[in-house]
Amino acid sequence: MPQENSYPALQSEGLTKQYGKRLALADCNLNVPRGRVVGLVGPNGAGKSTLLNLACGLITPTAGTLRVLGSPPAANAAHLAKVGFVAQDTPVYGTFTVADHLRMGAKLNPSWDQALADRRIAQVGLNLKQKAGRLSGGQRAQLALTIAAAKRPELLIFDEPAAALDPLARDGFMQNLMEFVAELGASAILSSHLLSDVQRVCDYLIVLCASRVQVAGEVKDLLAQHHRLVAPRGELDRLPAEVEVIRMQHTDQYCRAVVRVAGALPRTPWSVEPVSLEEMVLSYMTRAAGVSAGLTDAMAGKAVR
Amino acid sequence: MIWTTWRQFRGQALVGVIGLALITAYFLCLGFDIRESYDNYRAQCASLAECGPQLSQFSADYENALLYLAALVGLIPGLVGMFWGAPLVARELEAGTQRLVWSQSVTRRHWLAVKLALVGLASMAVAGAASLLLTWAASPVDQVADNRFSTILFGARNIAPIAYAAFAFVLGTLIGLLVRRTVPAMALTILAFVVFQFLVPNVIRPHFLPAEHLTMPMTVQAMNQARSLGSITGAPVVKGLSVPDAWVTDVSELLTKTGEPLDEGIFNECFTNAPETGTAEGPYGDTAVCLAKHDVHVEIAYQPTSRYWSFQWLESAFYLVLAGLLAGFGFWRLQRRPS
Repeated sequence: MPQENSYPALQSEGLTKQYGKRLALADCNLNVPRGRVVGLVGPNGAGKSTLLNLACGLITPTAGTLRVLGSPPAANAAHLAKVGFVAQDTPVYGTFTVADHLRMGAKLNPSWDQALADRRIAQVGLNLKQKAGRLSGGQRAQLALTIAAAKRPELLIFDEPAAALDPLARDGFMQNLMEFVAELGASAILSSHLLSDVQRVCDYLIVLCASRVQVAGEVKDLLAQHHRLVAPRGELDRLPAEVEVIRMQHTDQYCRAVVRVAGALPRTPWSVEPVSLEEMVLSYMTRAAGVSAGLTDAMAGKAVR
Repeated sequence: MIWTTWRQFRGQALVGVIGLALITAYFLCLGFDIRESYDNYRAQCASLAECGPQLSQFSADYENALLYLAALVGLIPGLVGMFWGAPLVARELEAGTQRLVWSQSVTRRHWLAVKLALVGLASMAVAGAASLLLTWAASPVDQVADNRFSTILFGARNIAPIAYAAFAFVLGTLIGLLVRRTVPAMALTILAFVVFQFLVPNVIRPHFLPAEHLTMPMTVQAMNQARSLGSITGAPVVKGLSVPDAWVTDVSELLTKTGEPLDEGIFNECFTNAPETGTAEGPYGDTAVCLAKHDVHVEIAYQPTSRYWSFQWLESAFYLVLAGLLAGFGFWRLQRRPS
């Protein structure tokens, strides 16, 4: 059915989550197509875990709508089977052995692929008889990844999968993760507070700062839309309306601006340079931090007065 | 889900089975011991009708021990709620493993239903086995003493403890779901259960069926049957009156002929300053004689012993309905605010 095929991996409108008075995620609008490896990047506390937990149905939104693979999150057992989730700090049952975990996966998932699970466990060298509570962080992450992948989901979601791992384990984990995604033909969303974690694997990027989505899109589109302008001081103060300034830096003589232009960049007398993904993300993070810092200052000033 | 639940529960189940095995062995020994003792006493008299003193001695031999054992069996549902119920969900929420299991192809509703059903049935089985064994072991004494309707014994015989276990288990699970931490949930569970076990027999159980009433004239003899007379507030009360073949649920103050409570002044005067008769007997002596002169009586509310089984069923139904309501709330809460 064409309609069956047309649903996006993740679609949200006005998605908001509040914990008491604290806003964890505000007015989040996303439309992520399937078949992408999505990097969800933002500083700690930006709302990444909130968004992913919402997508898995572990928490419910305060306002707005969210559809994952065309249905509300965790709508029913069939929908749960289509989404694999590896939560932050990769929880496993400490008293279960590795084999127990695989058996649990087999019992709880009708689409379980035992051969895939066995092969991967052997590949990463996990001992089936070992208690999961005694595994190292890297081994535990590999186990959690195997459980999530062996149910053959359409969408794999990872919340900071590499955060607690040392560089070597992180490399092995990411390698494994990408092999799974390729083998399953699945979409994947992975979050990180470090762009470097996800940069090498993702082809779609969401930057989340201060509870809001700053920018989202295909990596190649984002790179095409963002530019760095360098001009003598003061000359960038008046830019055409279609040019959005993300970040402006001044030195003694020059100013440098990272800008976003939806279409082709208008002809400019200034020097135009390409922007790396890292610089682009950093610009958005700085802008978001500046906005919230500015707000705080303003509120503090008001209070003093 | 059944396998997963069993795999998580098997350590606790082993402890339960060991505990139950010890209790079973002890209750079997006790039961045979009681029967042997009964036969010995019974052999001392020619017919059952003449056997009164021997049998009341027999009953007195075991009364205290059986009271402690009743308290123990009454505690089993609380322990089950504390050690099996409270950690059931709280341990998952505390360790964060709910994020693992809720991401499998099993809905939260299904997850909780299987856990509740499996461990809940185990709880009821343990409490039921202990209760039925004690009921069997104590039956010769219960027959002689005829007091199985009394507060503590009622809750440690026959089927009531099964319903207590269901309730305590669901209560523990729900507290764990709300508190989200294992140890505080365990403490709260046992506390809440003890409060319930105190309130229900004293406040709710007497009203399961409309009580029967009778008026008892407080003669000197009747007064001397009472366990206590007077109270620290100085009110004219008697306590511990008994009615044959009945569970006394309420005794009024001492009432005069007109139905008014006896004046506290008169009561205290009799209590502290009764005229000496020299011939008065019984625990209350001259006081009883003095009070009886004022032609007092009490109104007694009671439940006939013949209603024992109605009460067992009613109390079980009451606790099972409570357990069902708590479970329903748990499902609702899990759906609305998962974590």
